[in-house]
Amino acid sequence: MPYLIYIASTLAAISLYMMMPRRGFQPGKFGALLGAATLGGLWLLLAEYLPEPTDRGVGHAVMVYYYIFSAVAIISAARVVTHDRPVYAALWFVMVVLSSAGLILILGAEFIGFASVIIYGGAILVTYLFVIMLASQSGDSDERPDHDRIPREPVAAVIIGFVLLSAILTAAFPTAEENLLHPNQFSAAPADADVIAGVLTSRPVQNMSRENGALAQALAGEFEQLSNAERIGLDLFQGHPLGIELAGIILLVCLVGAVVIAKTRIDSFDPKVGADQ
Amino acid sequence: MVVSELHSLVLSHFLFTGAVLFILGLVGFLCRRNMIMMFLCTEMMFQGVVITLVGFSRFHGNLTGQTFVIFVLTVAAAEAALALSLVVLLFRRKRTLDPEAWSELRG
Repeated sequence: MPYLIYIASTLAAISLYMMMPRRGFQPGKFGALLGAATLGGLWLLLAEYLPEPTDRGVGHAVMVYYYIFSAVAIISAARVVTHDRPVYAALWFVMVVLSSAGLILILGAEFIGFASVIIYGGAILVTYLFVIMLASQSGDSDERPDHDRIPREPVAAVIIGFVLLSAILTAAFPTAEENLLHPNQFSAAPADADVIAGVLTSRPVQNMSRENGALAQALAGEFEQLSNAERIGLDLFQGHPLGIELAGIILLVCLVGAVVIAKTRIDSFDPKVGADQ
Repeated sequence: MVVSELHSLVLSHFLFTGAVLFILGLVGFLCRRNMIMMFLCTEMMFQGVVITLVGFSRFHGNLTGQTFVIFVLTVAAAEAALALSLVVLLFRRKRTLDPEAWSELRG
């Protein structure tokens, strides 16, 4: 299986390099075809090893959704990297966010999926589009600046990326038949019901009043009925209170820093003066 | 919601998608010559990491990965705000988005 990964990484690297914008002859279509063929071939070869659908695991019907969402995500990501107009690249990134939210929904994490669509696809992408509109010189296709159309060191970047990818995939995919025969040998972490029940009953803050203790016991008993968002809320606020405080400090510092940066005075606002300064 | 365990090869498929998104973001960060697009590619690397975290969360049957994604979203939002304000500052100074215009910072 490692050789399969190496061959697929090499073909994918060549196809991504062909899709990069450049001057003169543009083999982007052939690169896209080669990349799609590589992805499809890799998945077809891996599909033989997939386990039989059971009521415990993820069945084949779910894997069909995985293939659809994953293909859309990877193709859109390749377009984000290779498109020579920033606005269209940002719109392709919306497709990446939506399809990866679909993948997250397959995995049963509804809250994270919806939150990433709202935060990434809504807030962050609108901010990026605002800045692209603010900082773009002209909308003409012939007037686009060179730095959008010609990538910097594409060969070196693609080689670095796909050597790293083949290393990651060699570790991620089981290399021997033994790993396929013992699928869940790494799942030694305790289930979340045990973790949260233990946290709820053992924290001294919870045991300070009898009402809280009773609430904890009730929640631990009804854990199976909780929704995904309620479970994440419990895990977040019971297990990571210091992390929440640190995240708040990060956001506050970021807010202050952004205000300071935005208020910085630029003297050479004239474009003719600023060009050679 | 019935928490069912993933087969490790199914987990590997999700890790594959996450790794490919991360690597495409890395390649984009290295070879795009537009500062806004470079930071958009870092957001794509965050997406790959999010898929990996949620896949491991489902595989182990606990919620630590999904909780960590919330912190990843926090850092991504903070990074987007600061990076974009810096990009606007640099653009106002030289009227270009090309990072090569700042290559004298290389020393």
